[in-house]
Amino acid sequence: MTKVQLKGVRKDFGSFTAISQIDLDIESGELVALLGPSGCGKTTTLRMIAGLEVPTYGHILFDDDDVSEVPVQDRNVGMVFQRYALFPHMTVEKNVMFGLKVRGTPSGEIKQRLEDILDVVQLEQFRHRFPAQLSGGQMQRVAIARTLITNPSVLMMDEPLANLDTKLRGEMRRFIRELQQRLGITTIFVTHDQVEAMELADRVAVIFDGVLAQYDTPEALYQRPNSVEIADFMGANNIFDAQVSNGVAKTAFGDLQLDTDTKPVRDGTGRVLLRGEAIDLLLGEGEASQNVITGKVTAREFFGATVNYTVDCKGETIIVNEQSRRMVDVGQDVWLTIQPQRIWVIQDAA
Amino acid sequence: MWVQLMPVLAVLSVLFGGALVLAVMQSLGFAPWFGVNTFPDLSYFGALWGSWSFWQSLGLTLYYAIVSTGIALVMGILLALAMVRIFPGKSLYKYLYKLPLMIPYTVGIALAVIMLGNGGMISRIFAFVGLIGDPSEFPQILKTHYGWGIITVYVWKQTPFVTLTLYAVLLGVGRETEEAAAILGANKRQIFFGVTLPQILPGIVSSTLIIFAFNIGAFEAPFILGGGYPDTLPVVAWRYFNDADYTLQLQGMATVVSLALIASAILYSYLAFYRSFERRIGRN
Repeated sequence: MTKVQLKGVRKDFGSFTAISQIDLDIESGELVALLGPSGCGKTTTLRMIAGLEVPTYGHILFDDDDVSEVPVQDRNVGMVFQRYALFPHMTVEKNVMFGLKVRGTPSGEIKQRLEDILDVVQLEQFRHRFPAQLSGGQMQRVAIARTLITNPSVLMMDEPLANLDTKLRGEMRRFIRELQQRLGITTIFVTHDQVEAMELADRVAVIFDGVLAQYDTPEALYQRPNSVEIADFMGANNIFDAQVSNGVAKTAFGDLQLDTDTKPVRDGTGRVLLRGEAIDLLLGEGEASQNVITGKVTAREFFGATVNYTVDCKGETIIVNEQSRRMVDVGQDVWLTIQPQRIWVIQDAA
Repeated sequence: MWVQLMPVLAVLSVLFGGALVLAVMQSLGFAPWFGVNTFPDLSYFGALWGSWSFWQSLGLTLYYAIVSTGIALVMGILLALAMVRIFPGKSLYKYLYKLPLMIPYTVGIALAVIMLGNGGMISRIFAFVGLIGDPSEFPQILKTHYGWGIITVYVWKQTPFVTLTLYAVLLGVGRETEEAAAILGANKRQIFFGVTLPQILPGIVSSTLIIFAFNIGAFEAPFILGGGYPDTLPVVAWRYFNDADYTLQLQGMATVVSLALIASAILYSYLAFYRSFERRIGRN
């Protein structure tokens, strides 16, 4: 159980600045995702926490101890690489034992801990195989076992679900989550995939261009992003210019009543974010009384469980997402409605 | 299929097979163009293997080949490891280290004579700064049976080759396994011997095979920089071929064939040993 803090951390590679300045507090036992587009500096941040890179400025603290200058070998962290970085010339067993062997752990204890960890990751029957003879999910479990056997104080993962197919992804997600909660180990992982971040993390740190843009729970990031860039990155598609006054947002397709009690807004310009699944699509006028937007369905995308409708509302395009219990035809006139508390207004900081 | 392969098979058998068969037959006494035809006749091999100087020559040949291969390998590994890291002036260095690959052996030998000989540049510099009284007092490097001149030329020429090969292998292997090992707590020595070396072993084996095979059959460097009798086997063979008594060419062929047999035996056992090692650690 280790608390990790980054204080004013900056990293330059020659004249290139990978990280301008990051402050981040990760609570003991927390699972945090570093999320951002490729090249934003999230992997550099992870590598600095691991000790593979030294910050140009700033400090990295584990349980309030400055470890910025502690060499990687002595930092007692664990890292699962994106492509696992298993030792190709060693069997699963030897891969897993490596960390203890190099630390000079007595062989009796190594054997014991090997059995324990192989049991945890369910790899007993693969112990004599080489990495090349394993599937992606098995390789990842070996990488996790190899790391966890050393009892690291912080576990780091680089894109843990990126190389897995959809079915395995769900399995690995549950496995990592369950393992992390059972061991209570502080875990930090890097991803460029907002779905992966939301699936796994307690909190998500969004990094854009070497700057921490928002650090919040997945739900808050999704529902209440504090900038259009973040909303966009979190997969929002209904973002519209609006003029806010007295709790009402004026948009091109009509006025929207806001819920100013729970989400205070300032008068002035802003952007409204309407999540596609928060919008109800009605086929008759007068079925709703508040925040009604008239429009016409111009396209339909069927995803199996859900369906997306593209609705043209006075020149603006609104995407509505709903469970595919019914099918609305393209060309039909529809009425959209959204509850005031489901509308999020993004305004520039005062 | 055989018909389609005929053109290439013909070229291969004439160029390589033909030369080989002819060499073996000559070494066994078949040379009617010299008026010699005692085929099959093992007396040339007998005479060769029965003389002490042949074994001395073989010893020298193997000594130069093994020592220079070993030094070039160690230096090549160190340089290749340095190349995958970032250091100031790396881009310039990346061109510089390949220079000996483009310079012919003979130029390298000439350089060795100019630099390392008694009366060469280094001995003059030593004399100039007063470390020795006269350039002739400089320790003899060239033309001794220690072969430091020969070894220097081989190492100078072959270190870049080993570096180039291993650098390519290291780039393919990547830094990730080394980083993973470091995070797991391994120190530099444990990382090199436990993680890096086993992964670049195939590159080490192939590059040392090539340079060793070259060294064992190389002629110019031991001829010019060697210590005289006993010579290395390629030089011995050349002396037979160059002798006024042209029937000694058969003796020369026997030398060449002996050298080829020994070299193949060594390279084959080296490869077999490596293969069995690979199997033992479970790779195939």
